[in-house]
Amino acid sequence: MSETANRLLTFAVPKGRILDEALPVMARAGVVPESAFHDKADRSLSFACEAADMRIIRVRAFDVATFVAFGAAQVGIVGSDVIEEFNYSELYAPVDLDIGHCRLSVAEPAEGNPAPLGNASHLRVATKYPNITSRHFERQGVQAECVKLNGAMELAPSLGLAGRIVDLVSTGRTLQQNGLVEKERIMDISARLIVNRVALKTDPRVAALVERFRANAVKDAA
Amino acid sequence: MSDPTSDLLPEGLEDRLPQSAAAAARIERDAMAVMGAHGFDRVRPPLIEFEKSMATRTDGLMTRHMFRFVDPRSLRTLALRSDITAQVGRIAATGLSDAPRPLRLCYAGQVVRIAGDQLEPRRENLQIGAELIGSDSAAAAGEMVELAITALEAAGATGISVDFTLPDLVDTLAAETFPLAEEKRDAVRRELDAKDAGGLTDAGGEAYIPLLFATGPFDDALEKLRAIDAGGALSSRLEGLQQIADRVRGRARLTLDPSERHGFEYQSWFGFTIFADGVRGAVGRGGTYLIGGTGEPATGFSLYPEELVEAVKAQESLGNKLFLPLGHDRSAATRLRGQGWRTVEALSDADDAAALGCSHLLDGGEAKPV
Repeated sequence: MSETANRLLTFAVPKGRILDEALPVMARAGVVPESAFHDKADRSLSFACEAADMRIIRVRAFDVATFVAFGAAQVGIVGSDVIEEFNYSELYAPVDLDIGHCRLSVAEPAEGNPAPLGNASHLRVATKYPNITSRHFERQGVQAECVKLNGAMELAPSLGLAGRIVDLVSTGRTLQQNGLVEKERIMDISARLIVNRVALKTDPRVAALVERFRANAVKDAA
Repeated sequence: MSDPTSDLLPEGLEDRLPQSAAAAARIERDAMAVMGAHGFDRVRPPLIEFEKSMATRTDGLMTRHMFRFVDPRSLRTLALRSDITAQVGRIAATGLSDAPRPLRLCYAGQVVRIAGDQLEPRRENLQIGAELIGSDSAAAAGEMVELAITALEAAGATGISVDFTLPDLVDTLAAETFPLAEEKRDAVRRELDAKDAGGLTDAGGEAYIPLLFATGPFDDALEKLRAIDAGGALSSRLEGLQQIADRVRGRARLTLDPSERHGFEYQSWFGFTIFADGVRGAVGRGGTYLIGGTGEPATGFSLYPEELVEAVKAQESLGNKLFLPLGHDRSAATRLRGQGWRTVEALSDADDAAALGCSHLLDGGEAKPV
């Protein structure tokens, strides 16, 4: 175990939506990146930390889950949408950080869908979340054919790519501007602290870090 | 023109070439020697069995994860084994049903599953294990945990860490302490498994949240678990855990995670997972269970050393090779083989000692460095 003590802990954070809210939460748990992290011109992906035994990597949200599941990073922050989509057996999500709230919903064109759900056993959905989507429709007895897109899902119905979309919704403004309405909420989402299962069990530093995040979360809830 | 894809191996399968084959063979031999020395007799079940028989011996073993096909003789469905434990259970329930208990059996062999996943694409694994049939007491569990550690040490694993769990915890607590409707149990188990406090509340399992905190270094976690167990529903289990931990203390780092259930599909009151330095994921797991069909209690473990092989293969020594030139002294060669040399015989003048990986050359009846 002397070997684990000498290794750097890697903390993975997602680019984009959650990051601004996550930084203060991380700071309170003692995870503070070097100043280069905030420098927009800096192209590095890996940053030193105030604590000498830790580094921070900044990757896409979906990749945060993959890095942590494989144990390439021990700890990370990511939305529960990503956790649910991958359903990795090696991921623990021990702390709900109560930030990055939004929801994952089914949306359809406002003027009505040419193929209503009621009389279809098969339908096509454009989404970034094919697993959650097909599981959701399976529960309704419908086989969903998912078209995986990486962004701009809202264009799909108007261009005839798919009749509906499953996407993140926070204010609903993007849907509205693209002539879509939210039909059904699949799940509520918030950001979670995630850790690698083996790292939590074999590296005491990971457990200590989880404890710090958890203590802060409990304080906030009180 | 030859098609470069025609000799590809299917995804998740690989050839072990000499260096890693040597490591895998040595690990199997050393681990089996430890089990043999502790009074476990080896059994060798077949690669293929009737699907139904595999399914009945261990609750929760999914035959849909196995390669299955129809037997042209019996017209029944056959399955390629994915877990030898089920086969040993069958042996204990049939061929060795009259053997005195407790019955100690061990095994080693290849197992396959029909699909890998992104985290673990490997579809073929070496499984080495031991089963103590006829008891699932804390004494039996203590013996098996210690045996697993000893076998792994002999195989060359370092930094061993053992994580204990209570696989039937939710069912035990749901009966009385924290009442939970049958239909909610799966969801609560799933969220406990993911250690997802938020999800646990959503699934109606708020009462179970303290279990998420009762994890970590064994002594601390056991203390916290004692505090949760106000009703005393767990007291015999906690006593058992203490007894097992006392037996193996100092042999490995011990942790407790009472709600862990990865890989514990059929275990009853006790389960454990073993980790080692340099090995991603678990290197083995075991616990107590009931053999399907007879309901006989048993305790066992399985080691899956493929990743351990990857971790140690670079250091594996294949042994020095001695080159035997044309017309060499054959009795001297026999004598040196008796001393442990591996000899490589020249077939023609064109054979070169160094090119064939020989470190020494037989010259005047003695081994001389090349």
